Amino acid sequence: MSDHAHNAPPNPYLEPRRTQAETRALEERVAKLEQALIEKGIVSRDTLDHVAEIYENDIGPMNGARVVARAWTDPAYKQRLLENATAAIAELGYSGLQGEHMVVVENSANVHNVVVCTLCSCYPWPVLGLPPTWYKSPPYRSRVVIDPRGVLAELGLDLPADIEVRVWDSSAEIRYLVLPERPRGTESSSEAELAALVTRDAMIGVAKVEA
Amino acid sequence: MSERRADPEIAEMPGPGALPRKSGELVFHHEWERRAFALAIALCEQGHYDWDEFREHLIASIAAAGETPETPNPAAPGYYEHWLRSLERTLAAKGLLPG
Repeated sequence: MSDHAHNAPPNPYLEPRRTQAETRALEERVAKLEQALIEKGIVSRDTLDHVAEIYENDIGPMNGARVVARAWTDPAYKQRLLENATAAIAELGYSGLQGEHMVVVENSANVHNVVVCTLCSCYPWPVLGLPPTWYKSPPYRSRVVIDPRGVLAELGLDLPADIEVRVWDSSAEIRYLVLPERPRGTESSSEAELAALVTRDAMIGVAKVEA
Repeated sequence: MSERRADPEIAEMPGPGALPRKSGELVFHHEWERRAFALAIALCEQGHYDWDEFREHLIASIAAAGETPETPNPAAPGYYEHWLRSLERTLAAKGLLPG
């Protein structure tokens, strides 16, 4: 899958570079440090066990939420976003895309959009952070194309039969972001309050935004 | 809602100190890298230093190795070797580095 070029900024550290013996020495150095800090009561084992997991599972989708909230509150911005999402997202200062284009697809009363990467796990990470584990799972990647309604229902989103479901397959070149419907009852909410309502799942298209 | 979240100041560090990521996911080659990662963040979260203090050491260590994205050098220290060295320096500056 190496020709399916990915998206991290050019980073020289993506391949391992140490021999087994060197790795063992580093392991020991970390283990010693960790143990000494725990013994001194400076850090707890429990905290350490959770940190990496948190960062591996959640690198916040706040950038995308701000894009959505701006689109809900600024019609001119929304138009630019739907016409050229890459540029409109960059306007808010979010970069990190490496030549991939962002495309924003809008949900409405009649249309629901959902995003997948059937080939691997392409994902608009500069705006959504880390992909959730299920996004990368073979069942989601294959089944959401064949039976989007069934998969969405399993994920807790029951869509009425008269709503058209559109599935967007991400690639190395194009990353999709769903612009969810603004929830009712938020007419007087500020942009920041709205951004706080927007979830990662809503921007992938497997949930709605709740007020 | 009390779920702990990643701190964007760390997760989205810009520039040469940026976390190595593939498809947005963190890249750890060995378990010691994940443990060093956790140590630096946990100690910061517990208030032993500000993230900027750690980050300055990290950037300085990477700069000293002379490696850039344009001139990769596999013989130079890897990212988490810089990370570990920076953690040790940060702790030493605080008098917290165990002898």
